Amino acid sequence: MNRTIAMSRGEDEYMQELKGTTEYTGVHPQKFALWLGMASMTMFFAALTSALILKKGDFKSWENFRLPSIFMASTAVIIGVSIAMHAALISYRKARFSAFRWLFTLGFILAVAFLVMQWLGFRALAAMGFPLTGNIAGQFVYLMAIVHGLHIVVALLVTAIVLILAIRARRDPLYELKDVINPKRKLHMELLVTFWHYIDIVWIYLYLFLYFNYR
Amino acid sequence: MSAQTTTTADVHGHVDTDHIHGHEHHHEPTWLETYVFSTDHKTIAKQFLITGMFWGIVGGLLSVLFRLQLGWPNDTFPFLESLLGKWAEGGKISNEFYLAMVTMHGTILVFFVLTGGLSGTFANLLIPYQIGARDMASGFINMLSYWFFFAASVVLFISFFLQTGPASGGWTAYPPLNGLRDIAINKGSGLGFDMWALAMTFFIVSSLLGGLNYVATILNLRTKGMSMMKLPLTIWAFMFTAILGILSFPALLAGVALLEFDRLLGTSFYLNMIVVNGHLLDYRGGSPILFQHLFWFLGHPEVYIIILPAMGIVSEVLSVHSRKPIFGYRAMVVSIMAIVVISFLVWAHHMFVTGLNPNLAAVFVLFTLLIAVPSAIKVFNWIGTIWKGSVRLSVPMMFAIGFVSMFISGGLTGLMLGNSPIDIQLHDTYFVVAHFHIVMGVAAFFGMFAGVYHWFPRFYGRFMNDTLGYIHFYVTLIGGYAIFFPMHFMTGLPRRYYTFANFETFNNFNFLTQFISIAAIVVFIAQLIFVVNFFYSIFNGRKVDVERTEDGHTYGNPWEGTTLEWTAPIERIHGNWAGEIPSVYRWPYDYSVNDKPYISQNTPLAPGEVEHT
Repeated sequence: MNRTIAMSRGEDEYMQELKGTTEYTGVHPQKFALWLGMASMTMFFAALTSALILKKGDFKSWENFRLPSIFMASTAVIIGVSIAMHAALISYRKARFSAFRWLFTLGFILAVAFLVMQWLGFRALAAMGFPLTGNIAGQFVYLMAIVHGLHIVVALLVTAIVLILAIRARRDPLYELKDVINPKRKLHMELLVTFWHYIDIVWIYLYLFLYFNYR
Repeated sequence: MSAQTTTTADVHGHVDTDHIHGHEHHHEPTWLETYVFSTDHKTIAKQFLITGMFWGIVGGLLSVLFRLQLGWPNDTFPFLESLLGKWAEGGKISNEFYLAMVTMHGTILVFFVLTGGLSGTFANLLIPYQIGARDMASGFINMLSYWFFFAASVVLFISFFLQTGPASGGWTAYPPLNGLRDIAINKGSGLGFDMWALAMTFFIVSSLLGGLNYVATILNLRTKGMSMMKLPLTIWAFMFTAILGILSFPALLAGVALLEFDRLLGTSFYLNMIVVNGHLLDYRGGSPILFQHLFWFLGHPEVYIIILPAMGIVSEVLSVHSRKPIFGYRAMVVSIMAIVVISFLVWAHHMFVTGLNPNLAAVFVLFTLLIAVPSAIKVFNWIGTIWKGSVRLSVPMMFAIGFVSMFISGGLTGLMLGNSPIDIQLHDTYFVVAHFHIVMGVAAFFGMFAGVYHWFPRFYGRFMNDTLGYIHFYVTLIGGYAIFFPMHFMTGLPRRYYTFANFETFNNFNFLTQFISIAAIVVFIAQLIFVVNFFYSIFNGRKVDVERTEDGHTYGNPWEGTTLEWTAPIERIHGNWAGEIPSVYRWPYDYSVNDKPYISQNTPLAPGEVEHT
């Protein structure tokens, strides 16, 4: 039984059929849709960061401060999420189910840890004299972290569903295999991991943006 | 080994039901899957259309009600009390509810009817049909798009029944008025506004999910031979509308998110040194102008999100019913692109009176006037299309011509208002009301009606009633001008006022105000004729003539169009085409060529025939 052949069916086959009947860009349409969605979310975060630049320019009592160091730690954790998720995807592609489940769970836990650290960051910020309703410079940190966190929550919900399915499949090797050669499932895995990478990069951008604006 | 083979086949069959061989092995959908949680683009299009019609009636009715107040400010209408209860005690609309109605009228018409109802309906119906696809790239996301729209509709509708009433701080939701949850300032600023914001969030999610699907489908699922330059202009318009939405709606979402932070969490992004009842509130550092930037960064592209689909529909309808190729296909495509690009650079022309630096204003004036160039190219090409055509004055054609008329009338005043020195004088007066209602309100409705009458046979296999259609058209055209043309002469009269009875200087407008109110009521009744016609014709309309029958499916081409939607069976089956998807060999506007009335896009080139480029 050649697992690699079984797995490389699916999406490729779908693309081959598209190629026969369709004028297309060479990208799976749903992947393409996700990229467009990421472009849209980029516009959302761009709007928020430009609001900060505008505000910083016209408000006389803007107070700069050093971001609490916990945010640096959370940034490191979110890079860990990306690495774990990507490694999980590679294991999935190679049908190493056990490794996939462990890495995927690790990614999930790290993402939850990230959210907890963001919350600790808020507490540190408030302790520094920048509560949510304090100086507007501080308010922007809460704003960016909360709306970014909402994206993480959505990604976590989808990840939780995939994780439950994967853990359930553990008992039945045939089901496991079906899970891998199911082209739709494989595609969804790829879409999910792409989204994780995207939302992780957004936080890194936001962190650097805040860091350099508040120096 | 055999077990594995079976598994593969199962999975394979399951996966491909949506696109490739949908007709070979799909499971029988349940009633719920067919009519409610459908992933079929045709059903979703109908859902958008009918929800849009519901909102159209609600939004129109609101305008009739506030026109009653404006036309007869000293009279009472006892039936209003039975309809609105405490909002119209003694038969007179309260000033609070008047503001709520104006706010909701704007929100409903701009977003729920002319964005959701127009783009949602026709992009869903026509994209798969006209590009030759079995369905959208993701039927599931498409379904989600509708149900987010539905959720937005439910939330917005419930807000009408709140004790403090729906949002009433204007459809633009400007802070600081909308930035505080204090109902002592403005009743609608309580829960009503929060529900408005929630509804708008759902709506934005809906239009983003829809937009992603439209673009991904158009770029990836075109049938063989359908190169980009063979796409009908409708598809070009829907694609750029979707791109515009994908890039501009997030700015509004960001604006609303900051607003809700201010309202619910006590931040001060938009609020600074607010004094209420002699008390200085604790907000420091915010700027309401920031909201205007975020709002109009969407707000202006939004008017093109409304008008571009109408333009696409009109281009198609004018060409089909003139039996002539569209004039200047490439110029049409390029002008759509130009409008999209420039529309991102004009937003501050809504903000000339905010204390904007005059040098900066000059830049926005320049781009605003520049956008008239591609718009004028389009108008010229529409007129060039019907020029010397064998025009069939069918109902959709009448509406398409009406669109061009309205677009010119409203567009000319846009040139005036685009100049900041003039705009500063006319800002917030009825001149502005006249301008944008004609150019993006009435005109977009004409495009929508042209589309509904033209593609009704595609929706239901029947025609809408012609006589009722002509009555609808003439009343709406004459009535539309009767409502908005006089407003051009009401310069100086401020918008959004509850009554002008206290201002002697405006007494000379009393006759015009009443005249407009009467015209508005008549036009509203004419729209009800359309609604009756629509639902009557679904069941009793004249059937489309069957040209041929094949494999148990009937085929017909009611308007003798060249595009692919007319090559699919009249019966509207899952996957759109019974057999293989037709391949495309020619552009979509081969009318009156080679001694034939029309040649379908799926007809191969005749020997020696040169492809249109």
